[in-house]
Amino acid sequence: MTADLFGLELNVWADAAIRLVLIVTLMTVVVMGLIYLERKIIARFNQRIGPQRTGPFGLLQSVADALKLVGKEDLRPRSADAWTFELGPYFIFIPVFLGFVIVPFVADWHIRLLDLGLLYFIAASSLSIIGWVMAGWGSDNRYAMIGALRAAAQGISYELPLVLALVAVGIYAGTFNLGEMIAQQDVVPFIVWQPMAALIFFIAALAELNRTPFDIPVGESEVVGGPFVEYSGIRWSMFFLAEYAALFIMSLVFSAVFLGGFLWPFGDDLGRLFQAALTTAKAGLFFFVVVWIRISVPRLRIDQLMSYSWKVLLPLALVQVLVNGLVLVNGWSEVILLAFGLVGVAVLATVTGRAVAAPRIRPGAARRPLAPAPAHGEAAS
Amino acid sequence: MKGIARSMLTTLSTFARKPVTRNYPDFHRPLPKTDRAFPLLLWDQEIDEPFCTGCHACERACPVECMTVLMKDNPNHKSVGGNSSRRKIIDKFWIDYARCMRCNICVEVCNFDAISMNNTWTGHETSVYDRQDLVMDLQQLLSQSRAGQIQEWVPVIGQTND
Amino acid sequence: MVTEHAQEFETQDLLLNVGPQHPSTHGVFRMVLSVDGEVVRDVVPYIGYLHRGAEKLCETMDYRQGIGFMDRTEYLAAFNAELSYVMAVEALAELEVPERAQWIRMILCELNRLSSHFMFLGAFGIDVGVFATPFIYAWREREELIDLFEEVSGDRMMYAYFRPGGLAWDVPRNFKDRVRQVLKSARQGVADFNHLLTENEIFLARTRGVGAISAAEAIEWGMSGPSIRASGVPLDVRKDEPYLKYDQVDFDVIVGQNGDVYDRYYCRLMEMHESIKIVEQCLDKMPDSGPIMPEKMPRMLRTAPGEVYIRTEAPRGEYGIYLVSKGGNRPYRLKVRSACISNLQALKDMSVGQYVADAIIVLGSIDIVLSEVDR
Repeated sequence: MTADLFGLELNVWADAAIRLVLIVTLMTVVVMGLIYLERKIIARFNQRIGPQRTGPFGLLQSVADALKLVGKEDLRPRSADAWTFELGPYFIFIPVFLGFVIVPFVADWHIRLLDLGLLYFIAASSLSIIGWVMAGWGSDNRYAMIGALRAAAQGISYELPLVLALVAVGIYAGTFNLGEMIAQQDVVPFIVWQPMAALIFFIAALAELNRTPFDIPVGESEVVGGPFVEYSGIRWSMFFLAEYAALFIMSLVFSAVFLGGFLWPFGDDLGRLFQAALTTAKAGLFFFVVVWIRISVPRLRIDQLMSYSWKVLLPLALVQVLVNGLVLVNGWSEVILLAFGLVGVAVLATVTGRAVAAPRIRPGAARRPLAPAPAHGEAAS
Repeated sequence: MKGIARSMLTTLSTFARKPVTRNYPDFHRPLPKTDRAFPLLLWDQEIDEPFCTGCHACERACPVECMTVLMKDNPNHKSVGGNSSRRKIIDKFWIDYARCMRCNICVEVCNFDAISMNNTWTGHETSVYDRQDLVMDLQQLLSQSRAGQIQEWVPVIGQTND
Repeated sequence: MVTEHAQEFETQDLLLNVGPQHPSTHGVFRMVLSVDGEVVRDVVPYIGYLHRGAEKLCETMDYRQGIGFMDRTEYLAAFNAELSYVMAVEALAELEVPERAQWIRMILCELNRLSSHFMFLGAFGIDVGVFATPFIYAWREREELIDLFEEVSGDRMMYAYFRPGGLAWDVPRNFKDRVRQVLKSARQGVADFNHLLTENEIFLARTRGVGAISAAEAIEWGMSGPSIRASGVPLDVRKDEPYLKYDQVDFDVIVGQNGDVYDRYYCRLMEMHESIKIVEQCLDKMPDSGPIMPEKMPRMLRTAPGEVYIRTEAPRGEYGIYLVSKGGNRPYRLKVRSACISNLQALKDMSVGQYVADAIIVLGSIDIVLSEVDR
């Protein structure tokens, strides 16, 4: 069988191999660019400038970091389990790269558009949880273990709202093939009809990526890096490669599923390069918001995080699936979806506000009644 | 969500403000005259010798004992044909910058206004590769004042100084 | 969260060492948490990593030399530390501090309270999890304050500016304008922190109801400062035993209700408003000229034999100096009553039963500086 690659007719396998190599190379460069961009954006949010001395505008900072990491000694604790410790990073970043198979950058710039694209994506990316636990357990370090267990609990809990949000959109679109989904959004992007699913997907994606406010597994001020604490040098950088690659892929999936990918709003008229720029812009918007949230918001504690997923996001995602189903079966107008979506977003916002802010009584907490304040003096609060 | 939105708007507002970064070392901000880096000895440009006579007042007053002072007879004294009225002059002087805690007491007790805290950037940029190089000898302590590169300000205790 | 099945297993508590090198311990402090899952069962703190023998060293220093050492026992609030010390020496030597010096001392101490509380907000924001923003905001504001301190005293952190009797030298001519400038930016900084953290739902979730300590317990532990005021006890040395000119300015004592982490944070935030208010009143009341040292100060200060205990309200609590003198120009015994070590004693009561993440936040909210704990 032959496949068409930029006008050349190639054997299917060769074509797949070339596309893979192209995308993996692109990814490495993109990840380094994302790390640099994140540092610059965070710096601007903090009224600083960020990297500016390595290369013009500090553009070579990521290269310098990569060179430094390659030059570091590759440590392994003596009591660490050799196989799990060393294979852990691979189990984290290979599933992330597997997810790139189905994402379309531009019309035919992808590896393969599968009919079960989204499901494949979720299945592949959820394998990385194994890698986290391997890294944490294999390090033979308590901090790493705590971080790894937190990561596993969080990862598994937030898979469900993520999947259900995508399933909801899949029900609405009638397909899991990302290419077809994009084609269906040439007039109106899906975020208009599925705002609540978009918000749930966004929040669950933040949790899957272990970004603030869900970054307690790598909470730097507590478990000092979590499962990564015993890694150094290039092995450590694999974790970051995986994190930023996953971030990039989530932003591409978000823009493909909810924002119309490379087609909306300009359609097919303006050529491939413009479409690539459009995809980049949409992914960049997602990235900017993720970084913005990172530097504005504290992190949730593990029990708050888990209860938020199971008690708030999951029921609302189920309701979204239900409503999508009802509307499609009964052939009602799509405006109902929009109305429900807006109501749903409002409900999610309110419930989030209440649910996370309420003080909780924890089991085992020594509870003694507070003595009344002495009568003299001012009592302003 | 309102509080989270407020936090995010606050950070967005700092996005719009001018960065507060000072690009050291391309830009050295001007130091105030009162700045207090490490001590320096002052050079009497008219008579062409240090002000310091080696009287040990600062050495005794120093809380961390970072100075070593040795005096000698002044070969430039009037009685032996010179033009100076200082009978004794400093012979050897060491200050260990690693021990100095920049408390200014040596400046306050000096009877001759011979020692002053360095209020230029050179006083702050004293990095060396070996700790022993932080023990400054007489020539190193005098060199900056001798070259005229010092912003002199010797505060008088208890009085208005500007 | 603990089910019946789990109680059938024999489990061991995990000993988690929040070691001396840790991003969150605010200095070199070690605590060993005994953790059951994520719930803290026991906290054993280890201190002493920063012990430098300041009190013993001061026995060999005369009263002017000791000021530099007092700076270093509480480097974030050095003016307050120096103030207690020089007030103790003045009490023993019966020195009368001139008006202008007192007002200037008060302004500098309150500005130092501002800079210390900014440091607290920055470090606390990092503990709670906001990535870099609170720290950078804090540093931006502290930079203004510290630039002012450099113009006044010559140094950015270890001022050595107060002397027994008054000040070492007078403030620059544009002092009042500079202070007003600094206050403007400080107000903006406090507003920034207020908008960033106070109403943030996730922040509230992390800090409300966490690490609570009742008023009675706090009094038993001997806590002081914002940590005890957050529990509802209106204890403030500036109001109870006014020193300098605190009885001539008008300010409120900020008292919390629940004694949890949120109240301790909010008390400090509101105290910054009060500090700004105090400094503004001082600027209006301060004489523009006048002596800053008593006339005829001896070259080497000698005190009468005796002992004195002077306490002031440092940003972290009641910082007291107990000075015993046998005549002469150096103390016989100098004891620093450190606010931080008294506050730190309540750490176990506040953290047991909370999660690991909460234990870190509780430690941050007590606002310790290890140089004062260990001296």
